[in-house]
Amino acid sequence: MLLRRKRLIIKSVFATLAAAAVAAGVTGVAVLFGGWYNIAATAQHFPFVYSILHKGLEYSVAHHASAVRAPVLGAPAQLRRGAAIYGVHCAQCHGGPGVAPAPIGRSMQPVPGPLVAAAEHWRTRELYWITRHGIKMSGMPAWEYHLSDEDIWATVAFVEVLPRLTPAAYREAVAQGGAP
Amino acid sequence: MSARRPALGVALLALASLTACGSDRAPPGVVGDPLRGKEALAMYACHSCHIIPGVTGPKVYVGRPLDTLAERNTIAGGLPNTQENLVRWIRDPQSLEPRTAMPDMGVTERDAIDISAYLLSR
Repeated sequence: MLLRRKRLIIKSVFATLAAAAVAAGVTGVAVLFGGWYNIAATAQHFPFVYSILHKGLEYSVAHHASAVRAPVLGAPAQLRRGAAIYGVHCAQCHGGPGVAPAPIGRSMQPVPGPLVAAAEHWRTRELYWITRHGIKMSGMPAWEYHLSDEDIWATVAFVEVLPRLTPAAYREAVAQGGAP
Repeated sequence: MSARRPALGVALLALASLTACGSDRAPPGVVGDPLRGKEALAMYACHSCHIIPGVTGPKVYVGRPLDTLAERNTIAGGLPNTQENLVRWIRDPQSLEPRTAMPDMGVTERDAIDISAYLLSR
């Protein structure tokens, strides 16, 4: 008697789970092929979706960058080089102290963060890893095939001094850097 | 029964404050379209530096959080917190405060009015 009851319970649990899986699948397919999801960059993520994606980003970068060994950064020539690269390749999306990103960087979804704050959130090796490999589905390109390793480190070195630059000092640094 | 009265009062007060602060209609004296302003805020990347209620974005403190903007007496380093001054600040902050790191984001007048309407209705 007890055995039969137990079996019935187990059966109903599995039947319910199976029905839920089928319902979820049907809903997923309907949403996918119905085109109901709004892919527009003007439509924001739900805050919890954004938070989860961002947490995933942080853990992924921390994990993948853990093997990177950062050299000593910050020599004047390296900072000049980094400033030049920053002005040409980074500022259009990330802006700088007192300087707005170009229109292309203003309306992106997700929004490219101001790198003034980047050094507070990321370790040196993580900044290098992000710059070198880019971030999937975010618009952040991988620079590995477009900048030498030396230049990527120079860019990271400049990003790390950004929080200490006034708008005037930033403009001067980028202008002095010249063409990379 | 009388113990329930304060709870009811608190609930009513909460409801009233919800309709007062969380509404998408601009408070009296404020012009512009707050709903359009909310979308415009994201299209000028305001949320890349500011935490803005109702706009999904990173937890970032490069600029001031904008959740209590409507309650502030002054903005832009000392100007009275009027919609007109807010629009001027949004459009060209460095003309009002040369030392600010907030850039001119190329906001049009209409967009700045709608953005200010949204921020002042929070």
